[in-house]
Amino acid sequence: MAAVATCGTGAGSTGSIVATTSKNNVTSFQRKGPRASGTDSGCSRLVSIAGTRPSVRNGQLLVSTGLPALDQLLGGGLAVGTVLLIEEDKYNIYSSLLFKYFLAEGIINGHTLLVASAKEDPADILQELPAPLLDDNYKKDLDEDICNHQTPDSNIKMKIAWRYQLLPKMESGPVSSSRFGHYYDASKRMPRELIETSKWHGFFFPEKLSSTLNKEPCSLTHGYRRLLQFIQKVIYEEGFDGSNPQKKQKNILRIGIQNLGSPLWGDDICCTENCDNSHSLTKFLYVLRGLLRTSLSACIITMPAHLIQNRAIIARITNLSDTVVGLESFIGSERETNPLYKDYHGLIHIRQIPRLNNLIYDVSDVKDLAFKLKRKLFTIEIHTQKKFNLCIEEKNVDYNTS
Amino acid sequence: MESVLALGGLVLLRDSVEWEGRSLLKALVKKSALCGEQVHILGCEVSEDEFREGFESSINSRLIYHDLFRDPLSWSRTGEALPGGPLGALQAMCRRTDPGPFTIALDSLSWLLLHLPCTAVCQALCALSHQHSRPGGSCPAEPVRVLGLLHEELHGPGALGALSSLAQTEVTLSGAMGQASAHILSRRPRQRPAHQTQWFSILPDFSLDLQGGPPLESQPHPDPHTPPVDPTAHVTFNLHLSKKEKEAKDSLTLPFQFSSEKQQALLRPRPGQATSHIFYEPDAYDDLDQEDPDDDLDV
Repeated sequence: MAAVATCGTGAGSTGSIVATTSKNNVTSFQRKGPRASGTDSGCSRLVSIAGTRPSVRNGQLLVSTGLPALDQLLGGGLAVGTVLLIEEDKYNIYSSLLFKYFLAEGIINGHTLLVASAKEDPADILQELPAPLLDDNYKKDLDEDICNHQTPDSNIKMKIAWRYQLLPKMESGPVSSSRFGHYYDASKRMPRELIETSKWHGFFFPEKLSSTLNKEPCSLTHGYRRLLQFIQKVIYEEGFDGSNPQKKQKNILRIGIQNLGSPLWGDDICCTENCDNSHSLTKFLYVLRGLLRTSLSACIITMPAHLIQNRAIIARITNLSDTVVGLESFIGSERETNPLYKDYHGLIHIRQIPRLNNLIYDVSDVKDLAFKLKRKLFTIEIHTQKKFNLCIEEKNVDYNTS
Repeated sequence: MESVLALGGLVLLRDSVEWEGRSLLKALVKKSALCGEQVHILGCEVSEDEFREGFESSINSRLIYHDLFRDPLSWSRTGEALPGGPLGALQAMCRRTDPGPFTIALDSLSWLLLHLPCTAVCQALCALSHQHSRPGGSCPAEPVRVLGLLHEELHGPGALGALSSLAQTEVTLSGAMGQASAHILSRRPRQRPAHQTQWFSILPDFSLDLQGGPPLESQPHPDPHTPPVDPTAHVTFNLHLSKKEKEAKDSLTLPFQFSSEKQQALLRPRPGQATSHIFYEPDAYDDLDQEDPDDDLDV
């Protein structure tokens, strides 16, 4: 009311009254919500880092895995501070693709990358990242893809169960302003300028192997120990665990470890069933998870689980990771010729979803998922849907009486 | 068979007791030597003389032989034995920096796996295959080829699986009716693996003779996969519609489809049709009291 008194000359329009109110600042109510851009808000208490968003279910900070379909299956994305373990398919084609999508998403969002491998040089891995798809190009491709896909079978519209036609087939295409998940074109390379402006650390194990001669006995395999020390050094020096609070803006560290558990890391769980250091990998995962939980980082690990001979180790590894996704490709197996699977390249199994600060799981109730790599995109669908379209026809009812 | 030598990297020759692979190894070695490449041989299972037997002198002069057969544990101190044992020999080969195409033949990889830890062998093989891509980081000009002879029956599935995952090409020897065949699985990076079966025979001078197929009296191959099961075959109700029924079905309008005729029919009362009646037979227990039973409630 004091505000009205000060402009008592009767200005009349509500606009000027509002203007004088805000200028006088007599009210103690201030808006404290997150701003639209989010990065420069000094008064908001929520940490807004590029490429992250809070989960709608429990407020956990999530990053995208690089594949929006997978994000949807995992309940919105990968939680910061957790491990995504991918059990490789037999010839390591699709798992390395998921690995690259994860790293590419980090580059697009400006996150720092840490790439560790015992087989390929990290610089080579980064050169082969897929290029991001722009939104309008994708819409054009999606439309023409739908036109090409009109087989006679799919023209049978469901007449009695007509409401099921409106059901989406797992993903509805990209949102036009998708700042969270991006789509990638697997046939093109990411432009070099983007890679060069990004910040990344590489760990190539054969280079580190030659530099040490004395191996003191340790329960952790030599390779794993070096890798953990490297990760810890990067987290500490770059301040991802909050150890340098006055430094620049917070960012996420994306860690990618390729082919963990293969003999190239010095671990023999893939070679024999009764191996000497069977606890090495499990200890590594345990320490790694501790490092991740205390820092702003997310990790993707690909593991050749089909080579591990001892099933008990696989069960322990699954328990020690947070999210576990298994890929099974049809190449070379008898399922390749099965007509049920003829449109797909493999099956995807969600083996575990974590319970983070939560009492219940976030699992979707769909269990039989299949993936296919179209010309440019990796899609995940429920693979029994088409089968039902073909086999269900209405019973033999006499339609002539109404 | 050309693709076996064209792709660089590790080539695994998996043989068994029935179909031996050393002659194929020697044939491939001869082929590489004839192309003018440097060929290094790490001999562990047979003596040098036995390995060189059957090769012409021109080829023999191009082969560089590292002998581990005579003195594998370096017991004789004469200095002839290779320093560092088998692992040292492998690592010495990794450190070579001679330019030019390179072929290394390991005879045999099984011997190395039995004497060295599997992880060390895998790491050495990986370093050997990727050797020439190190300097400068550019693509390797000449591929390094590692031919490894592996006796399948000596190893468990773990070691075989680990080596398969490292190999660029896997040649599994088998055969029928006295004719040898090679099942070649080649994995190009980031592409689907390609399968191929090639029938061949090795001539006495270790040249490769590729052949079309097995002799005519080969056994009929069993059906590789069972015919797909038709789920609509043995159900107790009829899932198929005849043509007339299909037409009747298509022309039927469903209750939820709101067409204009239906709309008109609902709006206009149909003449000649009596309004609907409800026929009700009261039961013995029915109370036909017209009062509202809720009046008794004290709400």
